[in-house]
Amino acid sequence: MTHRLTRQELLRRAAFGAAVVSVPGLAAACGGGGGGSASSGTQKLADTLRFSNWPLYIDVNPKTKRPGTLEAFTKKTGVKVDYVEDINSNSEYFGKIQGPLSRGQSINKDIIVLTDNERYLSLMIDKGWVEKLDKDAIPNIINLVDVQKHPGFDPDRDYSLPWQSGMTGIAYNSKLTKPILSIDQLLEDKSLKGQVTVLNDFADTLGLVMLANGDDPSKVTDDMFKSALDRVKAASDSGHIRQFTGNDYAGPLSKGDLKACVAWSGDIVQLQADNPNLKWNIPKAGGMIWTDNMIIPKGGDAYTASVYMNYVYIPAVAAKMAAGIQYVTPVKGAREAASKVDPALAGNELIFPSDATLSKVHLIDPDALKNQSYNEQWQAVLGA
Amino acid sequence: MRFVRRHLLTAYAMLAFAYLLVPIAVVIAFSFNNPAGRYNYTWKGFTLDHWRNWDGVPGLREAMTLSLEIALIASIVATVLGTLIALALVRYGFRGRGGTNLLIFVPMATPEVVLAASLLTLFLNVSLFQLGFTTILIAHVMFCISYVVVTVKARLIGFDRSLEEAAMDLGANELTTFTKVTLPLIAPAILAGALLSFALSVDDFVVTYFNAGSRVTFPIFVWGAAQRGVPPQVNVMGTVIFVVALSLMVVNVLYQRRREGQPA
Amino acid sequence: MSFFHRHRGLTPYMLLFPGLLWLAIFFLVPLGFLGYQSLQSGTFDVGYAFDWAWGNYWDALQRYHAWLFRSLLYAGLATLLALVISYPLAYWIAFRGGRWKNLLLVLIIAPFFVTYLIRTLAWETILADQGPVVGLLRDVGVLGDNGRLLATSTAVVAGITYNFLPFMALPLYVALEGIDERLIEAAEDLYASRVQAFLRVTLPLSMPGVVAGTLLTFIPATGDFINAQLLGTPNQAMIGNVIQSKFFNLLDYPGAAALSFALMAAVLILIAVYARAIGTEKLTG
Repeated sequence: MTHRLTRQELLRRAAFGAAVVSVPGLAAACGGGGGGSASSGTQKLADTLRFSNWPLYIDVNPKTKRPGTLEAFTKKTGVKVDYVEDINSNSEYFGKIQGPLSRGQSINKDIIVLTDNERYLSLMIDKGWVEKLDKDAIPNIINLVDVQKHPGFDPDRDYSLPWQSGMTGIAYNSKLTKPILSIDQLLEDKSLKGQVTVLNDFADTLGLVMLANGDDPSKVTDDMFKSALDRVKAASDSGHIRQFTGNDYAGPLSKGDLKACVAWSGDIVQLQADNPNLKWNIPKAGGMIWTDNMIIPKGGDAYTASVYMNYVYIPAVAAKMAAGIQYVTPVKGAREAASKVDPALAGNELIFPSDATLSKVHLIDPDALKNQSYNEQWQAVLGA
Repeated sequence: MRFVRRHLLTAYAMLAFAYLLVPIAVVIAFSFNNPAGRYNYTWKGFTLDHWRNWDGVPGLREAMTLSLEIALIASIVATVLGTLIALALVRYGFRGRGGTNLLIFVPMATPEVVLAASLLTLFLNVSLFQLGFTTILIAHVMFCISYVVVTVKARLIGFDRSLEEAAMDLGANELTTFTKVTLPLIAPAILAGALLSFALSVDDFVVTYFNAGSRVTFPIFVWGAAQRGVPPQVNVMGTVIFVVALSLMVVNVLYQRRREGQPA
Repeated sequence: MSFFHRHRGLTPYMLLFPGLLWLAIFFLVPLGFLGYQSLQSGTFDVGYAFDWAWGNYWDALQRYHAWLFRSLLYAGLATLLALVISYPLAYWIAFRGGRWKNLLLVLIIAPFFVTYLIRTLAWETILADQGPVVGLLRDVGVLGDNGRLLATSTAVVAGITYNFLPFMALPLYVALEGIDERLIEAAEDLYASRVQAFLRVTLPLSMPGVVAGTLLTFIPATGDFINAQLLGTPNQAMIGNVIQSKFFNLLDYPGAAALSFALMAAVLILIAVYARAIGTEKLTG
């Protein structure tokens, strides 16, 4: 939320937004874009786009307090956007929508956003609870970064498109501990005992441990899983790991209850604003990357949703969103668009990571996510 | 000795209040915090910005308003229904009395997540119910009734019936006796039941989350916001509600004082 | 003769009808569905089918009895603590509150206005390792040098206690407030000391409130999951956490349903035993 940054940053972001709107390329990109903007064949745009997303996951225009890019979209296409921030957890949101969806009922949403490092995204696709994207309406799909073009859960990108990505690595408090740069250190350095937390989803935590073991988490085998799990379990049983957290590590980390923890890149950007001692890095053996994806639940208006997705993949728009959201954008060319207006932002590795950085992060094997036995074993370690 | 004991109780009560309200003090304090980032965990400096900009977080005000509306209506309905049940259970013998007594406890014992999901199933199968305000309200009344019943019963059990008998001996019919004698005497219990219902409703997350459709109540909003950092405006909102509730009660006290000052 | 007088036999049913109807439709029907679900078997991928799968219950009890006991233990401790903290508080409000009673009652539920998460975050700030409370306890020697309050069973029980305090305090207040002070005066006139008057007059008369408060605290506390999730480690996981995990993460809806019924059965049995022990009149009037 931009209005909670310092005044300087606030003004910079406002200037950035204004500058983006006036960038000549934007008008051309909006209007032309390969002929997919206003109507594709005989398709009609709906009056309203019903969009459910995670909180604070869109840029906010400081003057109107509403998402700037959504307002621009409405201006351009005439489609109102009913934007609700009611997704706060993949498992809880899925738990809620599986009721109607399993009965063939619509959840009255055109776009929802789920993460690819939990099983629910691929479950939605496997169960057929999603509409196909209207690819004719999304010519800008060519702007999708290469690494996201053929994910395991949706090899041809028929049903989903990335919204933002984030990286998982190690955060530590440099005032309380020496730099913690590897999972080995995090789990075994005695000086950290009882002041370490790890994330409670196994893609992030076990993914990192598998990398530390020298394994490749994009192709998980039972042995790999077991040895990673045993390592974590041992650290938990000994009291070395204090808790398994969602993003509630942020509080204890800021307050000094934790010396180091597994953490997400976007959170650290925010925490560092108040506590510059907090550092984040991708572990030596590699980090994990996850991506929140837009999907169209069954019963949603595929055409209107696709038109919106096309809009989001305009580099200038993507740059504006990345500035507000401060996670990693999946749109090629966004960094270049950003660098024309705000070079410092464009150089921020956590928002526009370099290729070198991106080569160090890995995706989780989607089949591992669906493996019920893995899930049960992991939940047992969590205490249930 | 009397002095010590008399003030021991007061001291204990004050400590208990302190225990209850210290977190509220922290919440109020942090509404004046000035963090640079989205998280509001460490004290960074005093500012009135978030008070001035109290409406600056989109959706927060609407969420709070919705929560308060629902809590108000749900607590009134639940209190009425619950009080009636309590009266029946304590004062009458009837078939199924034991079963009813037991039934009252079951909703409280049911884990929230399965209760929420099962209720959702009901709503999904009966197209009469569209997920939204109505379904949230129905759910809240449902789980509040039990609390009202148990609370009001605590007053009705051991209630001295002789006062009612005296009134009827003096010619009052049942309805008059009820409204002029019974009701005023159990009013504190009814109020307590209503307050409990209100508290339950305004703070409920799980059952509401499942059955709210697209509506966002205050707890849903806060749980969502917590993903990225709870804005200080949430603290501001909580403080305002707290202060407003207290002020209403102070007004109530002053009003009563005035009334007592009037001739009978 | 009044309407009620003529239809005396019907009166209880008329009083019960609206509330029970509401519960019947919006609680019993869902509960029925839950029961149906608990006897299904299958997986999320292939689907669930009803086939009298009593194995779900056996499985639940066999694998998770430790969690069940832990939940009952934590809930019991929290209830006891809540009683100890709330009784003097409720007594004070009832007998010394005067015209400020209602305001004080509102103060008791005030923490609920800020939502559970905010209250808990505030406690996490107060009880932080680097904070004043832990510092004091370390200095005094109650906690070791590296001791902490958060992420322990103490924190979980304290969290449950704090969050259920109003449910204990308000019913206690309700019963205490109804006690005629003249009874206490009479006892003292008959040479009882203050303590004796309390033990022989006030306490027994307040028992309906004690019973109500303990029930309103203990019963929902057993199913709690959020305190263990935020304030505890895996060793503090309660049955509510298992049910959450089964429902959200493992997509095992029959398992979650069966476990829920197991919990409810355990709680109801305990209530029955409790009622026997204290005498059912205090429970039902």
